[in-house]
Amino acid sequence: MDIVVCVKNVPFTQEVDLVLDASKQDIRKDNLVYAINEWDNYAVEEAIRIKEQLGGNVTAVTLGKEADEEVLRRCLAMGADEAVRIEPGNIQPDVSMAAAILAAVVKTLPHDLVFAGVQSDDFNNGIVGALIAERLGLAHASVVNSVKPADGKARITIELEGGQDEMSEVSLPALLAIQTGINEPRYVSIMGIRKAAKKEIKVIQAEGLGLPPADLQPSLIMEEMYLPPETEGAEIIQGDAASVADQIIRIIREKGVSL
Amino acid sequence: MPVARTHFWGIDSIALFYVLAGISACIFLLGIWFHVSIWLAGTKRNKLSFSKTGIINLLKDGLFGRRILKGDFFAGLMHVFIMWGFIGLFAGTVLSTTDYWLIHFLSGNTYLSYSFCLEIFGLMFIAGLLIAFVRRYIARVSRLENRSQDFWILILLFACGLTGFMVEGARLAVQMPEWESYSFAGVIFSFLISSKDQAAALYPFIWWLHILVSLFLIAWFPFSKLFHSLAAPANMYLAPQPGPVISSEEGSSEGPAFSFRDMINFSACTRCGRCNEICPSASAMEPFSPREFISQANEYTKIRFNPLAGIKWCRERFFRAISAAPGISPEQMWYCTTCRACLEVCPVHIGAFEPIRRVRTAEIEEGSRVPNLLTKALETLYMFNNPWERSKRKRSEWPGGLTVPDLTEGAKADICYFVGCTTSFDTRAQDLARAFVRIMTHAGISFGTLGQKETCCGDIARRAGEEGLFEEQVTKTMDLFKGYGIKELVTSSPHCFNLFKNEYPAYLELKALEGGAPFHVRHYTLLLEELMERGLLKPLKSLNIRATYHDPCYLGRYNNIYETPRRIIRSIPGVTLVEMAHFGPDSLCCGGGGGRMWQELEGQKKLSEVRIREAADTGADVVVTACPYCLIMLEDALKTTDLEGRIKVMDLNELLEESLGLVMDDGL
Repeated sequence: MDIVVCVKNVPFTQEVDLVLDASKQDIRKDNLVYAINEWDNYAVEEAIRIKEQLGGNVTAVTLGKEADEEVLRRCLAMGADEAVRIEPGNIQPDVSMAAAILAAVVKTLPHDLVFAGVQSDDFNNGIVGALIAERLGLAHASVVNSVKPADGKARITIELEGGQDEMSEVSLPALLAIQTGINEPRYVSIMGIRKAAKKEIKVIQAEGLGLPPADLQPSLIMEEMYLPPETEGAEIIQGDAASVADQIIRIIREKGVSL
Repeated sequence: MPVARTHFWGIDSIALFYVLAGISACIFLLGIWFHVSIWLAGTKRNKLSFSKTGIINLLKDGLFGRRILKGDFFAGLMHVFIMWGFIGLFAGTVLSTTDYWLIHFLSGNTYLSYSFCLEIFGLMFIAGLLIAFVRRYIARVSRLENRSQDFWILILLFACGLTGFMVEGARLAVQMPEWESYSFAGVIFSFLISSKDQAAALYPFIWWLHILVSLFLIAWFPFSKLFHSLAAPANMYLAPQPGPVISSEEGSSEGPAFSFRDMINFSACTRCGRCNEICPSASAMEPFSPREFISQANEYTKIRFNPLAGIKWCRERFFRAISAAPGISPEQMWYCTTCRACLEVCPVHIGAFEPIRRVRTAEIEEGSRVPNLLTKALETLYMFNNPWERSKRKRSEWPGGLTVPDLTEGAKADICYFVGCTTSFDTRAQDLARAFVRIMTHAGISFGTLGQKETCCGDIARRAGEEGLFEEQVTKTMDLFKGYGIKELVTSSPHCFNLFKNEYPAYLELKALEGGAPFHVRHYTLLLEELMERGLLKPLKSLNIRATYHDPCYLGRYNNIYETPRRIIRSIPGVTLVEMAHFGPDSLCCGGGGGRMWQELEGQKKLSEVRIREAADTGADVVVTACPYCLIMLEDALKTTDLEGRIKVMDLNELLEESLGLVMDDGL
């Protein structure tokens, strides 16, 4: 069972006061701590568990600069067999360009399953997985919270609303966008990462992939990034539990939410 | 008949005796070799030095059984009787052998005193065994488990002692020497035999029975719990010496890297159960038992390191039973709070928390069984330099309006106040820091902090077994101290204090980091005490309260600081100090240490709730503590046990500053 996992090194933005950069199209990242995208962490863990059970190879792929190799080292420390970094060079990929580049590389790697996270912690677009699947002609499902591969197919469950799951079967090769909570990712020790640092990371130039110029045009143009305007404060509702409940119901109805 | 020791009286086949003794001795030595080769397989042996404290331990606990006696008079009495009885009788045999083979000296008065003393020792031995029997099977002392081995060892030892007297009685019934009253116990037995002929006929049977029982016990010795007689003194002597420092690269990938000292710990355990009684986790009905862990670890090391276990034939025959046993259970390893209470009470000086930490290290490397919340806390520590997931920039927000010089921004001061992660970020614990700053400013002390640049000392990484992360933190912290010329430190937390004082130096030496540990560190209680002695702090306002003091594990048991905080409390006018049921070295852990602050483990009663109830039971108005973990653990427990009106939780700084009249109007 050969599994390719697409991972992303993203800034950790909890508890941080975000500041816009000079271009007003992005945030200042110089003081931020970077970590593996949370969804991707679950995806890597799942891939490794499947490998531990069924044998095979797990390859982690990322589109990023040299500093982003730390995310690949973490994947290797978790148990991935190989790691590939795609150097963007002069290209500044948006979401569709990233998908095109990743798809071109994934195509060259043996894969029964391709994992991606449902979305990424920074832009939360949630479509790279689907775009890659479309380009590679792979069967695709998203928000997957369980995977059981067997005999050229995989039984999966997909998280729906209201606490419901959908059970499906998808034929391999397939691309699955993995949802958080599918497993409990293992702890990666500092020693583990140090040992993984000795393993080789293959580097591919995005510009050398031979992609048609149409694929390298941004499909989304960032006009401006701004902090959301601060609005009025919250309303504090006083009283005992019963009267507070009444007031809340009244407010919900007034706002037009149907209960 | 001359007054002398008769050897082999009435026995013909002396040669047979020596052959059997030889076989028994060989089996004994084989068993010893097994144990020693397991010990030597431990990952690291550090150089052992002569230890005066070790000798004192041997005398007080080894010879006199001080810790066995503590809290259980009859256990102490029993053990002294059995041990001294045995040693006396053993010495008697050695002297007798010397008399037979080397110099004939057991004659005349020497012989008579020898004979008399051995009667005493023999009776002591039997008396001790009787007490043991009563404790196990009649009084049914709860912390004793009664395994079949316990029963058989008792019976065989008793048979040994009894047949000794019986055989003496038989001989005396035949010989009837004038000096037989020196062997008064044997004489009593001789009265039970009706005729001289009967005695002479019985004698060889009783003699051989005595020999067989004794030789069997000698052969069984290293394979049974009797081995503790050799392992325990070794352990007691070594206990005060610092443990080996195993760097992260040396850890084995095949399971826990137990050290030489850990292995001796496992062999020395007598399964008395005192650790279980005192362990806060086991007493709170959590699924953890220090005694069980030591036993599991013992079995584990036997399977892994016994020289015979490598031979397949042997493994299948002799080790199958052991390998079918549960082994070390990884989930349970996270319950230990590393409070050190077990080491405090163990009669043979075993501390379960050290080998537990080695299992944790193996689990950390394995990764998939580490509890989720702890995983997050450790990852957060690595990313943010604090386990609370708070931005580094917010680390210096706690002073509020107070003036706190920042040593990283050019300020110069005599003392660096190392605030610590919990005290910097937790809203309740921040009160501790602000109170301390007000006190130091009032006393005119020159101090400063490391501001936003302060790093985590690495305590939770170390306790969780994440050696790699701990070493990272040591490096970061030392770089910081060296960079700003920090030489004199005072800490909020006893954990940081303990780490800097007791664990950093060994690591710095191991890694040959420059200059060893060039700084001097104190916990804030020690600094306050000094300031009071110098007359810089004069608490004048009478508080009119009853207070009780909760000893933090890392201040009390780990660093022997019990009196200093109490002296400070007593020097505050209008404060009556009362003690809880468990205080000083017996203090109960609040449950925050050992990485437990960042876990949510199953258990019937929370450790902190047990402790806050004990505090409330004293009738005190305030429970005073000197550790940020204890402060927030007890404060939370106050709320969950609904004791909020009855007692308040205060840090020692807060209590002191009230009496110094420094309190701001924010409700303290």
